[in-house]
Amino acid sequence: MTMIGLEIHCQLTNLKSKLFCSCKANYREFEINENICPICMGLPGSLPRLNQEAVKKATIIAMALNCSTPEKIAFFRKNYFYPDSPKNFQTTQLNIYGDTSVGGSGSIMVGDKKIRITRIQLEEDPGRLIYEGSSSKNQITLVDYNRAGTPLVEIVTEPDFETPKEVRDFLNILSDILTNLGVADPSLEGAMRADANVSIEGGKKVEIKNIGSFHDLEKATHFEITRQESLHSRDIEIIQETRHWDDKRKITVSSRSKEEELDYRYFLEGDIPWIKMDPEIHKKLQTQMPESISSKKERYISKYNIPAQVADVLSPDKYYSDLFEESHNDSNAKEVANIITTDLMGLVDTREKREASKFTATHLKELADSIQSGKISRNSSKNALHEILKTGKDLETVIAELDLGNVSDESELSGIITQVIQEESQAVEQAKSNPQTINYLVGKVMQKTKGKADPVLTLELLKNRLESNG
Amino acid sequence: MNLKISALDYIQEVKTGNISAEDFVAATIERIQSVDDKLHAFLSVNDKAIDQAREIDKKIKSGQKVGDCFGMPISIKDNMCIKDSKTTCASKMLEDFVAPYDATVITELKQQDAIFIGKANMDEFAMGLTTEFSAYGPSKNPWNLDYVPGGSSGGSAVSVSAFECIASLGSDTGGSVRNPASFCSTVGYKPTYGLISRYGLISYANSIEQIGPFTRTVKDTAFMLNLIAGLDPNDNTTVDNKNEDYLSGIDVGIEGKKIGIIKEMMGEGIAPEVLSATKDAIAKLEGLGAICEEISLDMVKYSVAAYYTITATEAGSNLARYDNLRYGYDFPLEGYEFNSYISKARRKFGPEVTRRMIIGGFVPSAGHAGKYFLKALKVKSKLTKEINEAFQKFDFLIAPTVPILPFKIGEKIDDPISLFLVDINTVTANLTGKPAISIPYSISNGLPIGIQLIADSMNDKSLLQAAYALEQTVQLPEVPI
Amino acid sequence: MVSEEEIEHVSKLMRIEVDDHKEYVEKVHMMIDYFDILDSAGVDSEEISMPEIALSNLREDEHIPFDDKLIEKLNHYKGTYVRAPKMSS
Repeated sequence: MTMIGLEIHCQLTNLKSKLFCSCKANYREFEINENICPICMGLPGSLPRLNQEAVKKATIIAMALNCSTPEKIAFFRKNYFYPDSPKNFQTTQLNIYGDTSVGGSGSIMVGDKKIRITRIQLEEDPGRLIYEGSSSKNQITLVDYNRAGTPLVEIVTEPDFETPKEVRDFLNILSDILTNLGVADPSLEGAMRADANVSIEGGKKVEIKNIGSFHDLEKATHFEITRQESLHSRDIEIIQETRHWDDKRKITVSSRSKEEELDYRYFLEGDIPWIKMDPEIHKKLQTQMPESISSKKERYISKYNIPAQVADVLSPDKYYSDLFEESHNDSNAKEVANIITTDLMGLVDTREKREASKFTATHLKELADSIQSGKISRNSSKNALHEILKTGKDLETVIAELDLGNVSDESELSGIITQVIQEESQAVEQAKSNPQTINYLVGKVMQKTKGKADPVLTLELLKNRLESNG
Repeated sequence: MNLKISALDYIQEVKTGNISAEDFVAATIERIQSVDDKLHAFLSVNDKAIDQAREIDKKIKSGQKVGDCFGMPISIKDNMCIKDSKTTCASKMLEDFVAPYDATVITELKQQDAIFIGKANMDEFAMGLTTEFSAYGPSKNPWNLDYVPGGSSGGSAVSVSAFECIASLGSDTGGSVRNPASFCSTVGYKPTYGLISRYGLISYANSIEQIGPFTRTVKDTAFMLNLIAGLDPNDNTTVDNKNEDYLSGIDVGIEGKKIGIIKEMMGEGIAPEVLSATKDAIAKLEGLGAICEEISLDMVKYSVAAYYTITATEAGSNLARYDNLRYGYDFPLEGYEFNSYISKARRKFGPEVTRRMIIGGFVPSAGHAGKYFLKALKVKSKLTKEINEAFQKFDFLIAPTVPILPFKIGEKIDDPISLFLVDINTVTANLTGKPAISIPYSISNGLPIGIQLIADSMNDKSLLQAAYALEQTVQLPEVPI
Repeated sequence: MVSEEEIEHVSKLMRIEVDDHKEYVEKVHMMIDYFDILDSAGVDSEEISMPEIALSNLREDEHIPFDDKLIEKLNHYKGTYVRAPKMSS
């Protein structure tokens, strides 16, 4: 039986500042070593100043994953030497003196399967190493500390995954949850990373590190399972070790074990007292939590009669569910959801496009209302949507400029219907025996009106004509 | 110019215009120039001090608001960051380190128009009891130049004792303020843990150390505390002292106060002169109306072992950042691999620091933590319980600061355990976070003896009252330099 | 009991190159032996205590850049990078 566990690191980039200092949490826009201060550089005499909001956000994540949340949390030092770590220790969380990390055991459903969370901890990201030079002779290591001290939440799961696909599904669900909570933006480069551990047939656990993306994670776990199964089938022992994912060769490789063993000499961080998290705080945070994805889905279906597949697509997408909330009312909710899922999502898909989008909640509301009232046909609404996306102009203006308004004037329509009947005598004949042919004729009317004919009225008028023409 | 005045007297003199800050500071510089070759209290002297004093005199003359220190010259142990100044911790590892920011205590004193006359010598990274472990040479005891001044804040104590400045800030992890204060016959204070911000103090053992002042009188210490004690958002371990005024009511006396005599600090190994001085002090206190009684703190026996285990562990971690990559001293890294470079660079640590690093890697390591480090933490907890119980019964605790007289330079440097045990009376206050003070009490054969008083957490104000009462019973000879 | 091998191992762990391990063995040996006294303290059942702080006393989440160009005051290379020795693979 294959067992896969995950260690996910997620940056809390929605925070304004780093975990222990007031430098910016999202380091991506800065010049090299511009987003630093004595604290995140670990200068002599500097002391950490824990970010209150980071503790709250991490606790909210723990609650969203159904984890226990202790009444006192503590920080520890993990001591090791590496150039990306200015203090040569990482301030992190552990549970060696009882439960002191921000979240204890919890669980989350992936489809029908329950995935158990072991713990959630708050810790700091190190800086970034940049290698220059091609050969190992002239290679130099450069360090950028802009990222050092960025708040991270580490989520550790039990080895409950059995297939790489389950892993992938879980990560997608987790991404959606974190985005929905407003605590992180997993789509930012490097904002969410994961390591995996894999074992088969209850054998030794192999850790896999250095996995760049979720796509790679699926590949890496798949490779590792295959590798272990191959060894197992030949009765070769699977060694407990750490391997790293070689992205070029798409394989896991044994990490040359460093001569120094990893003795982290963990002990309590003396510069940070234990933080009291009374039940009052937990209650307050609970009320401040945004609506969960599953609750939204429920509400869309039961309150607005939105079809389950539409609700399924809309509820986990924070950007669009927020847009939905702003644009809908009780009567147009279904139409709003429809426009979003059918048209908008496909057009405004990337983060850049979303950021640049001129399509507002007002646009969406007016569009939905116009379709419902028959002012504009669904076909025309798609043209209107494209135009608004391009120009940002309001709906009224677009309808006028592009002449998209429905033709609902009976006499106008009758005139066009007359034309069509004259031109399509063959179809008219066929319509007598095959009633479905009338749709072809409706289509012709639509063509002539550039899609603006009121389809319901057109069909009615056509039917009457054909009957009367006998 | 009479340099032998207290801080409060200095302020009076300057306020009333009897002396100018500039003249006093100039005389101080002259004094340093004439005696520091012998004493080596200073690692560096502020060459802009006289100019700064002149500016303060201008402020005073023009009627502008002047800070409470009025240009008072203060020395600072070289493990506290002063912006744009070299801060070396008396180590070769930080030979070229220039601090880019001010410690909180420095900011506070700057705002009060103090003048930092120089950086004081110390044991390297505050690890030691005699200042003999400074990478730049030891300081000497002004009472007898062949003797140690105590440590690790030796330079601070010497500078105050020898009138090279009016006051000093040192740091006390296991007695590093009280011990040299006792050896040099000055007042030395370690506040309740968290009373004074450690932001800008280069860490040695951050869970127990505190910055503490050296002064010539107890009132001066209260004055200093008023300037630097209190909550600091830059240090999460600071506590709210609600802007307590430590100077007001300092002379209320100790009538009816109960004082516990710590049995384990008066026993085996105590020098007879120290024992008799302590008994004398106890008699004086009883004469003032205090009630003195013996008390046993069983855990004191284990306190030194616990102290060194915990501090070595914390130091091993606090000093890991010194890998010479971001700052340090000139040592090019071409041709080296990471681990071999930093291992070589860290050879600049002195032998005592190196020993403590090794111990600090050993005692919390996976195989040994249970036997050493965790046990030490438990001793710390139990000792805290014991002393808390003692404070149910007593207002203060008393013991000699150091069980022996100052000893000769070089005498104990090769005997680590004997050196450890010099701390036996002082580490308890650090491990338990309690405030403690050393008051200069007597001189025996030309060598100073200090008496230590300890109070319960946050009782710094009443501790100073008791210390003042004892101080008033004493008349000490002048330092012979 | 601390052997020379253990000292060597710990010095590596602590990244300190020690010329003569023998010199340190003796003194470190003495110090660690002294710590054996902790075994007779009878503290196995003690709890470890720590100071506490209320959540509301922690720092507010605000971006306040450090005003000085800090990297210029530290070792820098090729502009504003910090250079590290090459890493062993």
